Amino acid sequence: MDKTKSRIVGVRVNKEQETMLSQLQQKSKLSKSELLLKGLETLAEYSNLGPEQEPMQTALQRLEKEAVRHMVSLKKIRRKEEAIKDFVREIRKVDEIIDKHGCDPSMLIQILLDVQKQNNWLSKSALVWISERLGVPMTRIMQIATFYTMFSLEPQGRQTVQVCTGTACHVRGSNELLTRTESVLNLKPGETDPDLKYTLKTVNCLGCCALGPVMTVGGAYHSNPSVAELKELVKEHE
Amino acid sequence: MNKIRENKTMKKLKSVKDLKQLHKTLLAERKGIKKSVAICEGTGCYAYKSSAVADAFVEEIEKRGLDKEIVVRRTGCHGFCERGPMAKIFPEKIFYFQVKPEDVAEIVESTLLKNEFVEKLLFLDEKTGKRCAYQHEIPFYKLQNQVVFGNNFLISPKDIEDYIAVGGYSALAKALSGMTPVDVLQEIKKADLRGRGGGGFPAGAKWETTRNAPGEQKYVIVNADEGDPGAYMDRSVLEGNPHSVLEGLMLGAYAVGSNHGFVYVRQEYTTAIENLPIAIGQAKQLGLLGDNILGSGFSFDVTIHQGAGAFVSGESSALMSAIEGRVGEPRPKYIRTAVKGVWDKPSNLNNVETWANVPLIVNNGSDWFRSLGTEGSKGTKIFSLVGKVKYTGLVEVPMGLTLRQIVYDVGGGIRNNRKFKAVQTGGPSGGCIPEQFLDLPVDFDELSKVGSMMGSGGMIVMDEDTCMVDVASYFTKFLADESCGKCVPCREGLRQMKRILRSITEGKGREADLSTLEELGAFLKEASLCALGQTAANPVLSTLEYFRGEYEAHVLHKQCPARVCQSLIVFHIDPLKCSACGTCRKQCPTDAISGDKKLVHIIDQDKCIKCGTCFQVCPTRFSAVTKLPGGPAPEPVAYGTKVVQKSKGEK
Repeated sequence: MDKTKSRIVGVRVNKEQETMLSQLQQKSKLSKSELLLKGLETLAEYSNLGPEQEPMQTALQRLEKEAVRHMVSLKKIRRKEEAIKDFVREIRKVDEIIDKHGCDPSMLIQILLDVQKQNNWLSKSALVWISERLGVPMTRIMQIATFYTMFSLEPQGRQTVQVCTGTACHVRGSNELLTRTESVLNLKPGETDPDLKYTLKTVNCLGCCALGPVMTVGGAYHSNPSVAELKELVKEHE
Repeated sequence: MNKIRENKTMKKLKSVKDLKQLHKTLLAERKGIKKSVAICEGTGCYAYKSSAVADAFVEEIEKRGLDKEIVVRRTGCHGFCERGPMAKIFPEKIFYFQVKPEDVAEIVESTLLKNEFVEKLLFLDEKTGKRCAYQHEIPFYKLQNQVVFGNNFLISPKDIEDYIAVGGYSALAKALSGMTPVDVLQEIKKADLRGRGGGGFPAGAKWETTRNAPGEQKYVIVNADEGDPGAYMDRSVLEGNPHSVLEGLMLGAYAVGSNHGFVYVRQEYTTAIENLPIAIGQAKQLGLLGDNILGSGFSFDVTIHQGAGAFVSGESSALMSAIEGRVGEPRPKYIRTAVKGVWDKPSNLNNVETWANVPLIVNNGSDWFRSLGTEGSKGTKIFSLVGKVKYTGLVEVPMGLTLRQIVYDVGGGIRNNRKFKAVQTGGPSGGCIPEQFLDLPVDFDELSKVGSMMGSGGMIVMDEDTCMVDVASYFTKFLADESCGKCVPCREGLRQMKRILRSITEGKGREADLSTLEELGAFLKEASLCALGQTAANPVLSTLEYFRGEYEAHVLHKQCPARVCQSLIVFHIDPLKCSACGTCRKQCPTDAISGDKKLVHIIDQDKCIKCGTCFQVCPTRFSAVTKLPGGPAPEPVAYGTKVVQKSKGEK
């Protein structure tokens, strides 16, 4: 017998057992913990058949607990890995944008615009990364991100509903249109519903004053829709 | 046509001669084209789905095998947004309005092949009852002189060859081959071109300051941060004819001695952002941008910079700090930006329309330009005529036309035959001009005399259903939101004015408020850092001067005579007219209306959010819902009252 002993999922095994286990593992395509659990299950079933042996039972229980503990921590690690991967993916995209603009601090607004366009909002992590890469202090980035209306520091809905409140639309009754839209969507301007379906916004001019009062739902223009028409539009874009 | 072009590589032009040769070749190539159709794809027409019409034209013409003789162009804005989508047939200049894809086959069949009109799509002149086919017959275009805007009809913004075919870049060639930078500068100075962006500062003088400022590196900048709500002429020029702006910019750069330019364009103008890089790319391919342009030794390059939505960023010093990558806030201008601008280098900034005028002046001479317009303001101006006017759109008229001519002759008067009340010019910084000044000739100086300004050319027409207090409150709220907050008078002054105006529109105003507003306004004018604050009180002060009665109605009687201010107005159903059709009850978003079959409907005033739905949907044959200027609402009839039966003849 080989005396060197190694551990599998915290359980001591000898060489022979290890090869056997890994063969089994390869065949069954299970993880080590899962395999161990399976084995324990079989053992438990087997031991239930025979006369009850106190020490065997406790040892089994101990092993089972150990294996479950490993499973849980493995899952946690995987989740963390996923989160980090997501994060890296996001930062990589931000990186691409920064490189596209030549990592030039004077292009800060352009970079933020592109990030906003891609992610639909500016996350804290993206902003920190931009600050690090460009060597621009975070305060200045926040100053810009809060100054311009284009940027949002919260996730936005998948569809943007814009009600034009430009002067031409205003004199043609955009106030009433806005009140109607608010009541149909149950949102105030600037708000997003909890399901991230819609964000209601007001804009200063859409440049098609002949249609006024005008609004857009998902990029399509609509001239002064009534409540019934609004409900239809909302349904269409759900 | 487009297919041929794709296969052709654009050869670099090495001299002025090459450009002239290209122009000739293009004209020769295009001789075979008998007719062309221009479809407007400006924002207004795009919203009316004009792309589908253009697609239908292309398909129909290909189907009939006419694509060698007839060209379809997707162009920029044609101005007459009220009647979009528009299709214009060249060379006859026949205009068709409100064209739908299903009309296309008929247009091709009768107009393009048989030279007959499609009557139903022609413009109907309501005064004479006649249909107008040609551009010069349509009242909207009759008084216009589209020198800057005219080429929009003829060129596709995505094709530099279209621009060269109509004589584009010939001004640049003229300057580079026979004029010194000083000659160009003198020509602009002689033409007396004033900045189209608002202030009306002489462009020539500004150029000269930059030219004479110390320093090697100089910049020229296009200000396309058109933030005035209800104004979109710069957008239409930049979208429809980007090369004219670029050519003007190059001439300016040549005159002031700059080799780099910026175009600062609003992020909201997606089409412009799409078309500009294409235009710049094509100009580079032809060697019209880059090093040693047309072999003259003059080099020039352009960078596009996108704005991110801040009204104040259109101010010159704010715009320049945005280009540097900082927040677009203005700074005190003890030293002009023409001397110390972007990165403290001399920077000459002009508005889109100003730049677009430059090639015209260089080509036709300053005397031609001076022949248009008035004594103090030369040339033409594009106005965006919007609001309660019958024909909404962009109009380019010579300076000095009266407001009456613009609103009534070009714009066709007021919608729905309502009464004219005022016209607001100059965007949020301008004022409201009442009826008594309708015969005022429109130019930079005359508008300032009556407390308004030219601004970038927004003209918002208001009728008797527009509440002037609400308009003042609207602009003040807009400006308070857009104030950068750097200087106290603007930040705090506007906030207080906004608060006071809101309380007036909510019926909580006091008599003393009006004098407080005047005081604050005067203070803002004196003490603010930049033009935003200095002019911010104009809407309030001008309405207070000309429409004090309306303010008093709000303050003293708690009524909104124009029936606009939502907190004051009351919706009421006339029990004698209500026919219990139930339309309003079904559509009311808050279920504020109760009623039943044959029972008079009643509005619960506590539940009503004053969205106007009932007023909008009540069938015109009943017109039972009325808007009252102020409360309290008349006592409603008791629930269960039967509707008044109308005999059949009484309808």
